[in-house]
Amino acid sequence: MTWRERAAQVLREPLVHFLLAGAVVYALLAGRAPDLGERRIVVNEAVVGQLLSRWSESYRRPPTPAELDGLIADYVRDQAYYREALRLGLDKDDEVVMRRMRNKMIALATSEAEAATPTDAQLQALLDKDPARYARETLFDFSQIYLGPDSPEGRKAAEFALDQIRRGTDPASLGKPIPVPTSFSKGAASEIAGMFGDSFVAGLRQQPLGAWSGPVASGFGLHLVKVTARTAPAKPQLADVRQALENDWRADALRKAEDANYRRILAGYDVKIELKK
Amino acid sequence: MMKTRMLIAAVLLAGTALAGCDKVEKALGSKAAEVTEAAYPERVYWGDTHLHTANSVDAFVFGNRLGPEEALRFARGEEVTSSTGVKAKLARPLDFLVITDHAEGMGSTKALYDAPRILIRDPQVLKWYDMMHQGPEQSVKAMNEILEARAKGTLPEQFRNPKANAERTHNVWNTNLDTVERYNEPGKFTAFMGFEYTLMQGGNNLHRNVIFRDGKDRVGQIDPLDPTNELTPDKLWDYMDAYQAKTGGKVLAIPHNSNVSNGLMFMMTDGGGKPMTAAWAKRRADHEPVVEVTQIKGDSEAHPFLSPNDEFAGFGKAGWDIGNLMLTEDKKPNMFAAEYVREALKRGLLLEQNLGVNPYKFGMIGSTDSHTSLSTGDENNFFGKHSGVEPGPKRAMIPQGLGAKSARFGWQYLAGGYAGVWAKANTRAAIWDALARREVYGTTGPRMTVRFFGGWDFKGDDLNGDWVKAGYGRGVPMGGNLATGKTGKPSFIVSALKDPDGANLDRVQVVKGWVDKAGKLHEKIFDVVWSDMDKRKVTGGKVPAVGDTVDVARATYTNSIGAATLATVWSDPEFDPAVRAFYYVRVLEIPTPRWPAFDALRYHIKLGPDVEVKAQERAYTSPIWYTPAS
Repeated sequence: MTWRERAAQVLREPLVHFLLAGAVVYALLAGRAPDLGERRIVVNEAVVGQLLSRWSESYRRPPTPAELDGLIADYVRDQAYYREALRLGLDKDDEVVMRRMRNKMIALATSEAEAATPTDAQLQALLDKDPARYARETLFDFSQIYLGPDSPEGRKAAEFALDQIRRGTDPASLGKPIPVPTSFSKGAASEIAGMFGDSFVAGLRQQPLGAWSGPVASGFGLHLVKVTARTAPAKPQLADVRQALENDWRADALRKAEDANYRRILAGYDVKIELKK
Repeated sequence: MMKTRMLIAAVLLAGTALAGCDKVEKALGSKAAEVTEAAYPERVYWGDTHLHTANSVDAFVFGNRLGPEEALRFARGEEVTSSTGVKAKLARPLDFLVITDHAEGMGSTKALYDAPRILIRDPQVLKWYDMMHQGPEQSVKAMNEILEARAKGTLPEQFRNPKANAERTHNVWNTNLDTVERYNEPGKFTAFMGFEYTLMQGGNNLHRNVIFRDGKDRVGQIDPLDPTNELTPDKLWDYMDAYQAKTGGKVLAIPHNSNVSNGLMFMMTDGGGKPMTAAWAKRRADHEPVVEVTQIKGDSEAHPFLSPNDEFAGFGKAGWDIGNLMLTEDKKPNMFAAEYVREALKRGLLLEQNLGVNPYKFGMIGSTDSHTSLSTGDENNFFGKHSGVEPGPKRAMIPQGLGAKSARFGWQYLAGGYAGVWAKANTRAAIWDALARREVYGTTGPRMTVRFFGGWDFKGDDLNGDWVKAGYGRGVPMGGNLATGKTGKPSFIVSALKDPDGANLDRVQVVKGWVDKAGKLHEKIFDVVWSDMDKRKVTGGKVPAVGDTVDVARATYTNSIGAATLATVWSDPEFDPAVRAFYYVRVLEIPTPRWPAFDALRYHIKLGPDVEVKAQERAYTSPIWYTPAS
């Protein structure tokens, strides 16, 4: 591939289009607006080259001479209308123009962030900020029996059943059938929550270790449980959760880039909200 | 328990550097995740096999601005901001997601929207371009016009330029694969690669979702297939064969919305209307092991026209049984038989009797077909079919047809469709394999746990022991075939457990279909276990209704009726060893409020008298088949 082809490739990149468009917008905002009073519309090699390449991109063939004439005529017409419209201030307060400009500004602000790659230090900082988010979950070792719907009578029956277990009755003989496992070894909190509902996991966290206790309510009703171990998650290591960190870093970087860009722009304005109290 | 160990090495690739034509893939680090596959499936995994993002031609113009990344974060349980600026979060995360953007014109409307206006020569395209830029309402109108032109085959040339489309599709596809790879976390959350093959005959829906078992190393070797000029699925199957041959990977296809195919999805002939051959039947069964039976655009299990004795047939049929997808052709009663899944399963038996192969031997799942990048299947958290109808006061009552004709209304869309998968682990391989062996079921949204085993010696007291182990040891799970060469009657272990965050269960039914020697098709529904059986005695051959606790004005219900769990061992009292049959389970919840009731409450709106404000949500399992020994 020659440098020429390479350059052509780069010019076709949507990102480059955005950057070019963005540069124009920046130029406008920087107060270096092109002279709108300039009455000369120039169609030179560069303009035609651009028309040609855009045409070919869409139609996979060069335009016929007649089509090229049409393209040029259209270009001139667009320029004339565009400049005249700007001169008359028709872009002001036009919702479509505003939305389009806003979208271009955002795309420009976030395109850099999209291509950026975080350093290990950045990822480590993210991990240190919220280790719980990346930690593996609490693991529970427990047994459970199901006693039926949660009701005042059900709770009384649960107390009675608990008393019987303490007196030596086999817990399995007291439970009602339910198609969930009766014992878990290293069950992850989210997995148990998916199976029994969130309230059940909250209940498991509060039970004493090593003895039958309860009742604990699930989405199905009341249970007696015997929690034998609650394994707190180890501190997460960067190497183990790199992908999750990178995903979050990237999503956050986009948000931040957009936000920072907006704040920077806003700083140049004096916003007054005038409302009657 | 016996466990087989499997090492899944996920090489995670991310970020394609912009360096001229040299596509530099930068490995950000390879991660080997060790995931243990259980000896048999111990838990059900929940997911959506059918989700569209802003890269789908229609989703974008309907207003969706969220890409695959937001879709994946949302499915994993993160909060995202919807295209209309509303904070959105699932009450419970999903276990897996397949992003299935339309292959046809992938990313094209987004590209059109972003294009400079000067480039657009076609006056029709220019009109749509301007409408797209004129705000949400005009944009939705533009999309309906585009869809109608698509259905009529009158799309302008710019939309049909195959080479430009192919190039764009290639780029969008590869970017998506990178994103999917970054969010796939074996053991925790599975992100699949896939696309929708939006096959149509006119406005008749023959759509399929294509789901790959593999990662980017394989899937990146091919691009999605464009269905534009096709009328039958044969080319898709060729494509799938070619993928498997080229890469050594695996792929399957899942048809959906047979309810709006106007009599084409499950024909007695081949796709082109010629007599079906055994070879064609085998190809169909091999490539399409599962059907999506319920989703936002209606439910395709059973229709009252075909199943007059089924008092629960026709869930979510309102608006969907009046014509095809695009409403370019009205529905005629003789079309129903090739549109509803129960009838298709019966037809499959007859075709097998004639050809020796059953083309319609498929399992069932539900999925959303949401076009908002948000897989919402819950009634109280429904983000709509597309971004033009995200939560808001008007959406329940407005006409909401696809295409220009507007004879369907907002409330007729269903908040629902999830797939329950009995997989041995939460990995691409394990979930895909469960789909392939049909050990799956569909629900209209709630996450009830349903087990179904068929065998020859199950007895009532099996339920007192480890019946799951017995089910796998002495029988077959949903999706399987009853062992042949046995005497007696088949018996089934059936177990249903309510959604832990949802409504109690009304009843569990076994739906049986069979074909007699004369080739006549039959079906019968058996209520096998229900709540309060001692009080709800069968009268006139029917189990009395469970009751209704729905308070529509408050959009609430109470679990004071129904049961948390229902289980039984059932054997077929009418079993005839000489006839082919299938059995599947349908589980009904007690009545609960539908999403329009939640909208009415939130936005203080008045719903019209036609609006269905409550429903008995349900689950459908894959069948178990019986084939007489020949």
